[in-house]
Amino acid sequence: MTQIKRDILFGLCLVAIASVLPFLFPGRYVVTQATLFFIWAVVVIQWNLVLGVGGIFSLAQMALFASGAYATAMMGFYWKVPMLLAIPLGGVVTVAVGMLIGLACLRLRGPYVALLTLAIAQVIYVLIVNDTACFTSTGGCMPLFGGVRGIGQFGDIGFRTLFPRSWHIAHYFVALALLVVAVATSIVIIRGPLGLAFRSLRDNPGYAVSRGISRFKYQLWIFAVSAFLTGIAGGFYAVHFRVVGPTVFSFQLLLFLIAMVVVGGLGTIWGPLLGAAVLMLADEGVKELSEYRNIGLGLLLVMFIILQPGGLVKLFSPNGIGGRVRKACSRVRGRSQVQNATSERPTD
Amino acid sequence: MEVFIQIIASGLTLGAMYAVATVGLSLVYGSLNMLNMAHGAILTLGGYLSYVAIQHLGLNPVLALVLAAAVCAGVGLLIYLGAALPLLRAEGFETNIFIATIGIGAILENLMLKGFGPYPIPQPLAIAGHVIIGNVHVPLQNLFILAVAVVLMVAVAFVLERTRIGRAIRATSMNREAAQLMGVRVGRVYAQVLAVSGALAAVSGIMISSIATLSPVMGGDPMLKAFIICVVAGLGNVYGAVLAAVVLGLLEASTQYILGVRWSFATLLLLVILVLIWRPYGLFGRTLVVRL
Repeated sequence: MTQIKRDILFGLCLVAIASVLPFLFPGRYVVTQATLFFIWAVVVIQWNLVLGVGGIFSLAQMALFASGAYATAMMGFYWKVPMLLAIPLGGVVTVAVGMLIGLACLRLRGPYVALLTLAIAQVIYVLIVNDTACFTSTGGCMPLFGGVRGIGQFGDIGFRTLFPRSWHIAHYFVALALLVVAVATSIVIIRGPLGLAFRSLRDNPGYAVSRGISRFKYQLWIFAVSAFLTGIAGGFYAVHFRVVGPTVFSFQLLLFLIAMVVVGGLGTIWGPLLGAAVLMLADEGVKELSEYRNIGLGLLLVMFIILQPGGLVKLFSPNGIGGRVRKACSRVRGRSQVQNATSERPTD
Repeated sequence: MEVFIQIIASGLTLGAMYAVATVGLSLVYGSLNMLNMAHGAILTLGGYLSYVAIQHLGLNPVLALVLAAAVCAGVGLLIYLGAALPLLRAEGFETNIFIATIGIGAILENLMLKGFGPYPIPQPLAIAGHVIIGNVHVPLQNLFILAVAVVLMVAVAFVLERTRIGRAIRATSMNREAAQLMGVRVGRVYAQVLAVSGALAAVSGIMISSIATLSPVMGGDPMLKAFIICVVAGLGNVYGAVLAAVVLGLLEASTQYILGVRWSFATLLLLVILVLIWRPYGLFGRTLVVRL
């Protein structure tokens, strides 16, 4: 079985499990948290494409997410654009914002990119929060970007009126669909030509460049694709919570999401998803200790980077613990010869 | 004319504070290729340590300054031993240490949040009074900051140019392998650089909090500006960083006067982006020749 078939099969299994979940645990809390998990997973998977596959040291992912959310909310609030149209348009706006950031940053070397993207995100945040000039005065003073309070009352995608009792389950499936698209994109990029281009640029940059592979061009592509899906996730986040505020820029959120990528495994298809799941569950588990949450996140980040730099997915690779256990099991069952023959072959 | 003096006075003070914060970062990047995202938290820690030393231990202000610098140098050493040393052995050091120091910064910042609470407190290490220069009241505190910064910069320059340690640091940042082959103990250089950077961060933290206030999140903004200064000057270029710090301090003071506080950081960033499009390696940075 080729890798891509295995990925698709694994993904379909996960979708099947996720589809029955809201009917097994119909509680509103569980379903809403799972929806949030899907949204973060989409963002993290796209971030991983930029950071782990494209090798772009971008910290602007949350700024892109916020662009999508704000664009969607503002179109709904000022021009009464229906949300079903506003969310994709928000994605397009995010691509434009991403292109601007990309064109300013991508010619620079790694660390310069990280600092500049972080600074850009911070400046946008400061400009939004300190804006107190009234732009409209419908329902009180309202700055152009909503200021500290954010923007609300911009419309809905209609599930709340369609299913007044179980709209949260509908939102769950919308988020799941988004996640499926995000994972599919990730598989296509990592296993497809774009992934191949980046792998060749990493393995032998001189040869790759002399064969006409332009790092700048492909990085811009991967930046655009990931910006689009991140913006859409942002738009859906706005609709789901009915308000967008400057909290989406918070460093705490950035820390939470980057921890997901690192804990799961940078540059892999399933790592970010696994990391998002693990951290959402861990966050749920230590709810009572929430004042130590950020300290714990910091510790987790440092420990994983130092002790398990490949993330959790590395445990399942042929040389990780999972792979060794699998080998040991098959040896016990007396299929050692078959298994050895396959495992000795160098994996990608 | 009065406005002009005012802008120069506050701009030079800002520049001096940024310079002290930036030199540490620049030294660390120059010798280790490491972006220390915990720098802001160390800076805040320095401010709080001086507060504790004066307010709770009743120490003399000079002793408090020295104590804060010493403890923060220790934190820098711990970061070397705990994070940089193990990560240097693996691949992808630049990315990994960046993410690891984000984590370390978060830990430090939240520990301070738990210890001192979220509310701003005044920094006790401050000098009252002011002098009058051409009808403008310039606080003595600003002059004091300027003096300390100049002394520190001269000291750093002296160490870099005239001592064995400084020569080892410069050699390591020029070419790590060659320095190692010549018998420079690179590991020791790294430890020294991180300790010095921690101590400088502590001093700049005390300076910044003496003009504004102490709060657990106060380090983020100066750190971001220090990074921007490093980027404009070219990462790792120490003297360029000092010059860029002073220029950006003056620019910030004038944009604050002309456009208002709200736009000063945004204008600064726009300028930086334009500079980087013009010169991707910073104003004084050398183009990196990559051998494949």
